[in-house]
Amino acid sequence: MTIAPAISAAGVARSFGDVHAVRDASFTAHFGQVTALIGPNGSGKTTLLLMLATLLKPDAGEIRIDGHDPVTDARAVRQVTGWMPDVLGSWGSLTVRQSIETTARLYELSPADARARATELIDRIGLGPLADQPSRVLSRGQKQKLSLARALVHRPRVLLLDEPASGLDPAARVELRVLVRELAADGAAVLLSSHVLAELDEMSDAAVYLDRGATASAESVDRARASARRWRIRALDAAALTAALADAGRPAVGADHLGALVEVTGEADAAALLTHLVSAGVGIAAYGPAVGDLEQTFLDLAKGGER
Amino acid sequence: MSPRLAVLGTIVQLELRQRIRSVSWLVLVSVVFVLVGIVTVLLWFALPAFGSDDLASAGIYSTLIFFVLLIGSLVTPATSGAAINGDRDAGTLATTQVTLVTTTQLVLGKFLAAWTVALTFLAASVPAMLFTVIVGEVRPDTLVASLGVLVLLLGVVAAVGVGASALITRPLFSVVTTYLVVAALSVGTLIAFGLGSLAAQTTVSSTYTPLNYDESVFDGEEGRWTTIVCGEPQLNSYEVPRTDTVWGFLAANPYVVLADASPPVWDEWGNPRDLFGGIAFAVRAAQQPPEPPLDYDECADARGEGGQQWQQGPTPREIYDASVPSWFVGLAIHLALGGGMLAAAIARTRTPAASLPRGSRVA
Repeated sequence: MTIAPAISAAGVARSFGDVHAVRDASFTAHFGQVTALIGPNGSGKTTLLLMLATLLKPDAGEIRIDGHDPVTDARAVRQVTGWMPDVLGSWGSLTVRQSIETTARLYELSPADARARATELIDRIGLGPLADQPSRVLSRGQKQKLSLARALVHRPRVLLLDEPASGLDPAARVELRVLVRELAADGAAVLLSSHVLAELDEMSDAAVYLDRGATASAESVDRARASARRWRIRALDAAALTAALADAGRPAVGADHLGALVEVTGEADAAALLTHLVSAGVGIAAYGPAVGDLEQTFLDLAKGGER
Repeated sequence: MSPRLAVLGTIVQLELRQRIRSVSWLVLVSVVFVLVGIVTVLLWFALPAFGSDDLASAGIYSTLIFFVLLIGSLVTPATSGAAINGDRDAGTLATTQVTLVTTTQLVLGKFLAAWTVALTFLAASVPAMLFTVIVGEVRPDTLVASLGVLVLLLGVVAAVGVGASALITRPLFSVVTTYLVVAALSVGTLIAFGLGSLAAQTTVSSTYTPLNYDESVFDGEEGRWTTIVCGEPQLNSYEVPRTDTVWGFLAANPYVVLADASPPVWDEWGNPRDLFGGIAFAVRAAQQPPEPPLDYDECADARGEGGQQWQQGPTPREIYDASVPSWFVGLAIHLALGGGMLAAAIARTRTPAASLPRGSRVA
C-alpha cells in the first residue's frame, strides 16, 4: 500500500493582477480522511480549490493530486477528482436525472453506465422526488445536492467540496456529514471548505488553515491548539460553583447566559478541574469547551497573524 | 463511436437541449416556415408579370436562398454569441471543464450546436425550395453551389458568435459584437465600396466639336449641309467613380459570395433571370474600368463622316463571362475569420487558465 498523499501542495501561489489570492499554500491531505480547509471569506479557499481542480494554473509552487500534476496532466487529475463549486450552476432545462447522466457522459461513461449511475446517485443523495423536474425549479439546497451528485458521478478518489453545506437545512447537513464520512470510509480523500466551523469540527480528521492566502504552519497550529482556551461550566448552584472555583485557584474569567467560563490548558487540565469540582460537591450540569476546537484554533491563529 | 466523438456529441446535445428545445423556438421556426411560404407564393404570381414564366422558379429559388441567409445571420448571433460567457455567468462552464471534455471538444461542440440551430431555418425553407426545384428549372449545379455556400456562411456566423463569446466577458457585448461583424460584412462592405469608388474618382475629358449653325447652310431640298462651318472644339472634364479599384470590398460580402458562387440563369438576350445572376453581374461589372470617354464631332456628323464613336455594348452575360469570379476569395476570407475565431476561443477558454479576462472568474 502506498502512503503517497492524495493531495499535496507546496508553496502554491496565484494572483489576479494586483490581488494575491493565494500567496503560499502548503499542505497534504490523505486518502480515507476528511480534511477541512478553513479560512475567513476572501482568504483564498476557492482559488486554492480551483487550482487543485485543474481550472487555474498556479503562478508558483507544485500541486500533486494522486501523484499527477494538474498543470501538465490535467486529464489524469480530472479522472480521479470530483469538484463541487461554491457557485451553483445547473443546466436549467435539463432534469436532475439528465444533468447527472450528461455529466457522466462527459466523464466518458457509456450511456447504460451513465443511466445506472444517475439512478444510484439520485437515490443516495436523496433527490428521488425531484429526479424528473427541470433543474431550474430546484431550491438552493436541492441544487447543492445536485451539484454534489455531479461531483460524485465518476466515483472520484479525491473530492474537492467548496462550501458544500451552505444552503442546506439541518437534516440535509446531517445527511451530508454521514455521506462525507462514508466516502472517506470507502477510501476517498475529501477536502472541504467552509466557514461554518462547528460543522467542520464534527466531520473532519485534519484541518488546513488558510489566512490571507497562506496556510498556517503545523507548528503554529500546534501552538494554537495547546494554548489556554475557555471551557463553559454550568452548575445547579451558581454560588457553590463560584466558591469551588475560587477554592481551586481557578476563578471564572467570565460568564454568559449558559454558565461560567474558565481558562483551561488542554484536556488533562480540564479533567483535573472537573474531578476537583465534583469532589467539592458541586452539581455540574454541563461541562465543555465554550467554542469548537477548529474555531478556537482558527481564532488564535488569526490573532497571532495580527500581532 | 469513439469516446472523443461521444463526448463531442454529448456537448452538442447538451447545447441544443439548453438553448433551443423550447416552445418559443418552435414558434420562431414555424413563423419562418410560413414567411417563406408567403414569399414563395407572392413571387410565383409576381415574377411572370415580368414575362419570365417558365424561369420564375429560378428567381424564387435564389430569393429564398438570400432570405434564409438574411434570417440566419439575424438570429444566429443571438443564439451563438453567449455560448461560452453565458455558461460562465450561469456557473455551468467550470463544472463542464473539470470533466474529461477537452477545451477543443467544448468549443467545437458549442459551435456545431449553434450551426445546427442556424440550419433549422434552412430546414424550414426546404419545402418551398423543393417546390421551386420540382416545378421549374433550377440548375443542379446552382442548387449544389448555393446550398453549399449558404451552409458554410451560416457556419461562419455561428463560429464568430462562439468566438466572440469566449473573447468578450459580458454576454451582451459579445452578442452585439457578433451582430456588428455580420453587419460589417453584409452592409459595411457595401458602404466601403460606395465611398471607396467615389474617393477613387478619376477625371476624364471628352471633346465636343459643334457646328456653327449661324454660318452653316442646310439645303432642305437636298437634305444635306451645303456649307459647313465648324465651331471651336470644347473640352469637357468630368469625374467618374473607379469601381474597378475598390470592387474587392464587395468580394467579402456574404450575399455577393453566395451570388457569385452560384451559376446564374440567363435569358436569350443575355440578361440575368435570377438574383444570383443579377448581383453577380453587378459585381463583375464593377470590375470593369470605366468606358473611355466618347468624343462627339457634330461637324463631322454634318459632313456624313460619323461624328460619334458609338458601338453596341456587351451584354451582362458577356461581361459576366469575361470577368474573374471572386467568390472563393470572399469565401476564404469568411472561413478564415470563422476558423480564427474558433481557434481564439479555444486558446482563451483553455484550462488550467493562466490569465483570465479582466473582471471574470473561472467559476
